[in-house]
Amino acid sequence: MAALIQSIVIQILITVIAVAGIYVLTGLTGMFSLGSAAFMAIGSYASGLLVVRLGLPVPVAFVLAIALSVLIGFIVGLPTVRLRRDYISLVTLGFGEAIIALLNSATTLTGGANGFAGIPRVVTLPVAIVSAVVVVALVAWFKTSKYGRQCIAVKGDELAAKAMGVNVPRVKMIAFLVSVAITSFAGCLYAFYITFVDPSTFGWKQSAEWVIMVFFGGANSLTGSIFGALFLGALPEVLRSLLTGLEQYRTIIYAVLVLLIINFKPSGVFGEWEITQLSPKNLAKRRARKAAAKSKKGGAQ
Amino acid sequence: MALLEVKNIYKSFGGVKAIQDFSLEANTGEIHGIIGPNGAGKTTIFNVISGVYPADEGSVHLDGQDVTKMEQYKITRLGMGRTFQNIRLFKGLTVLENVLCAFDPQSHYSLLGGLLPLPNRFKEEKRGREICEHHLETVGLQDYLDEKPENLSYGIQRRLEIARALTCNPKVLLLDEPAAGLNPTEVGELTELIQMLSSTMDLAILLIEHRLELVMSISHTIHVQNFGKTIAVGTPAEVQHNPEVIEAYLGKEDE
Repeated sequence: MAALIQSIVIQILITVIAVAGIYVLTGLTGMFSLGSAAFMAIGSYASGLLVVRLGLPVPVAFVLAIALSVLIGFIVGLPTVRLRRDYISLVTLGFGEAIIALLNSATTLTGGANGFAGIPRVVTLPVAIVSAVVVVALVAWFKTSKYGRQCIAVKGDELAAKAMGVNVPRVKMIAFLVSVAITSFAGCLYAFYITFVDPSTFGWKQSAEWVIMVFFGGANSLTGSIFGALFLGALPEVLRSLLTGLEQYRTIIYAVLVLLIINFKPSGVFGEWEITQLSPKNLAKRRARKAAAKSKKGGAQ
Repeated sequence: MALLEVKNIYKSFGGVKAIQDFSLEANTGEIHGIIGPNGAGKTTIFNVISGVYPADEGSVHLDGQDVTKMEQYKITRLGMGRTFQNIRLFKGLTVLENVLCAFDPQSHYSLLGGLLPLPNRFKEEKRGREICEHHLETVGLQDYLDEKPENLSYGIQRRLEIARALTCNPKVLLLDEPAAGLNPTEVGELTELIQMLSSTMDLAILLIEHRLELVMSISHTIHVQNFGKTIAVGTPAEVQHNPEVIEAYLGKEDE
């Protein structure tokens, strides 16, 4: 039982990392990608092959795999970031499915549809926890930096952003590559935990599921997106192991929850709220503002 | 050469000739009013000057540089700031963050600083905050830094757009109907603000406005547009007595 829980927790943490990457792209910048899972595939296959076939040390393989993903991301991104936002989904969808087809047909290298086994298991619970914390912290820093602000500006109003001197394609490219690097890293962790990868894991449905998690928790909130990943990631497992009678209704419960949120709270569970608003510094700031507003009101009376 | 030189620009959308042969020369310290009925092509002039779309014919020079076909964000960085007729603030950002977005392209720290709490990042963010708070104080919004713009009144939102435009370090400031939707008191305050900006900062101001009392009182030169054509240029006094202008605004007198 403990081993089962540990396995579920590690897989959810890997999902959290992937969703943090999707948050940068979809939540911050408003770009919908249906090919993000393909970058997870590139990360897991590249790192796995480098270690198994070439005998490289695992950390070196991770770095090379992420670098390769970013390079491919740059090539895919060049035409993509200049497109209207709704076309981005189509380009990334086509790219993602092409990658899956490639992995399926390059049998000698990847094992094709049978998958590719024999990757050593190096990802343990502590590795997964540290990885998730570091990635979420990096994304949180990114959000409050000039880059994150420009992403939000581009998402809100591209024309106004350009008029303020923002190089819109460049900002989109940076967001895209940060997202690609994170998703690819999630793929590395996945490969070295599961020890086996096959192309069917990384189709557009996986990408769409991550986008749903972001919107469920709140596209404008990193806290919300992480919550979405934790909650919707854990839900199927909880239904399977704890409420055994409900297992066959898993997909229905999932769909109903998502529909409820979209209908009754379109901005997601958390809206724009971030957990950092609970920090002592921010609470003090808010109290001071309330006091100022009160004294102003008092002065007016 | 004038700071801003717009020479014989033309712009059509399909069969609609939005601008026909518009020219303008503006120098630091001047305020140019552009007036005319709805659909006269006034905002199109701003869009061509600021690079939203290029002119079909003619040229635009900013500070001696040809910006006719330059990308919008590059023109901004050369010294062009603008506000929008239909307020275009960034949703999801506070008042201060909205203004910071105009500073961010000038901010010097790398992506590494964007992902990690490096000292250089803090230094640049602090510099940006100081500059932005200064501009917000100029327009009188120092008490609203952490508010969400959508919760604030029209007048405040319009001032916020001006603060954001000032943060681009403009040599030329384009104000597109800054008084639209404001009450008379706010119009008075805005008039004072524009005059103050013109006299204290090194700026040429171009102003599109329907409130004639505002344009006439502060502009040095008025350009009157009608159906894409310039029908009169001159001082406010000259323009007010021009028969063609009176006709465009009030209709033709019966014989």
